[in-house]
Amino acid sequence: MSEYVRPEVLVSCEWVEQNRTRVDNVRIVESDEDLLLYESGHIPGAVKLDWVSDLQDAVVRDYVGREKFQQLLEERGISNDSTVVFYGDKNNWWACYAFWAFKLFGHKDCRVMNGGRKKWELEKRPMTREVPKYPRGSYRAEDPKIATPRIRAFRDETLAHCHAKKPLIDVRSPGEFSGELQHMPDYPQEGSLRTGHIPGAKSVPWAKACNEDGTFKSREELEKLYLGECGLKPSDDVIAYCRIGERSSLTWFALTYLLGFERVRNYDGSWTEWGNLVGVPIERTYLPKK
Amino acid sequence: MTRLEQIIAEFEGLDYQERLELLLDFSERLPELGEPYRAQRDAGLHRIPECMTPVFLWIDVIDDRVRIVADVAPEAPTVKGFVSILVEAWNGVVPAEVAASPPDILRLMGLAHKLGMTRLRGMNSIVQRIKREVSDRSGSAVPTN
Repeated sequence: MSEYVRPEVLVSCEWVEQNRTRVDNVRIVESDEDLLLYESGHIPGAVKLDWVSDLQDAVVRDYVGREKFQQLLEERGISNDSTVVFYGDKNNWWACYAFWAFKLFGHKDCRVMNGGRKKWELEKRPMTREVPKYPRGSYRAEDPKIATPRIRAFRDETLAHCHAKKPLIDVRSPGEFSGELQHMPDYPQEGSLRTGHIPGAKSVPWAKACNEDGTFKSREELEKLYLGECGLKPSDDVIAYCRIGERSSLTWFALTYLLGFERVRNYDGSWTEWGNLVGVPIERTYLPKK
Repeated sequence: MTRLEQIIAEFEGLDYQERLELLLDFSERLPELGEPYRAQRDAGLHRIPECMTPVFLWIDVIDDRVRIVADVAPEAPTVKGFVSILVEAWNGVVPAEVAASPPDILRLMGLAHKLGMTRLRGMNSIVQRIKREVSDRSGSAVPTN
């Protein structure tokens, strides 16, 4: 993993196995797509953080506020100086989402366990159903306004970015990108009134950044994908998006930390916002059969 | 009281953490898939496309009784628990009982707000799929709600 530009943000399963008992300053956090996976068994000592019921505000479409975030972390025994290691299901997709949210509130030492749950299980490492109890942490979250210009894009910025023809990465599946999906019978209603993508966006499905075992691809392979095929440069100002900003957190993570891009923002309104906005430009490459 | 109503009532009486544990219990009670279903699943047949999680359903109506066989990957215990509830509630009932069941089971179980819209959409579509297939296979125009 030393090959990456900022290798310190990735730790191996072996590292977690050896450091998980350092409970005074290391906290392992599981964040999954599935609501019950943590309950079905987790890394001994790990705490759960759910992307819906913990990280999202129940009323407004946004993250929880600063106070709620502080409370969440303190309850899990996390303080400002804690090393927080995220892991989860589906190639760490939700672990990267939680990582991104922690950065939004200015948490300094965040890491991702390379390979996530899948690799931990493949290596037959210990799992438990026991929920740990830690002494309450002491947390003061940064105002998210500070990190926002660096890592988060709202719709107006995304629109300006599109008009300025700056690089946009669409990390959804090829069917979602082309606009075909809603034309297929029996497919889930995507919650958007229009299909297609933001004009000028390049399609790089998020999972292309990962190997079969859930780990990230090598720096060389990632460079081939994003720099070669996609034509990006690490000095580019990039906005990544997907459907609700979760899959694009993984792409944000790979570009920012593994390849050292200077400015990548995650458009967390993503397609469920863009595809419902009145009057914004949309490109559709799929042509329905007459 | 139908079996589904009983299960919903069981969830209603619990706090949030207990609800998760009960759902996990259900996920572990879904019977192992036997042959010939396993071969069909491995060949990619009977997968329902509405759900991001691999969910496989065999739905039939025999002698006016609903029969559901299901398989869900163990790495998706939430969906697996919910499918297990539907199998337990609806296996062996008359098609009209499925048709008359509420469409918003997860909300009635008190889990909707914790699941969020994205997860709910996939799981509710499983209910719709079963209702539709039961209606189609029962040969009568059973209204679905």
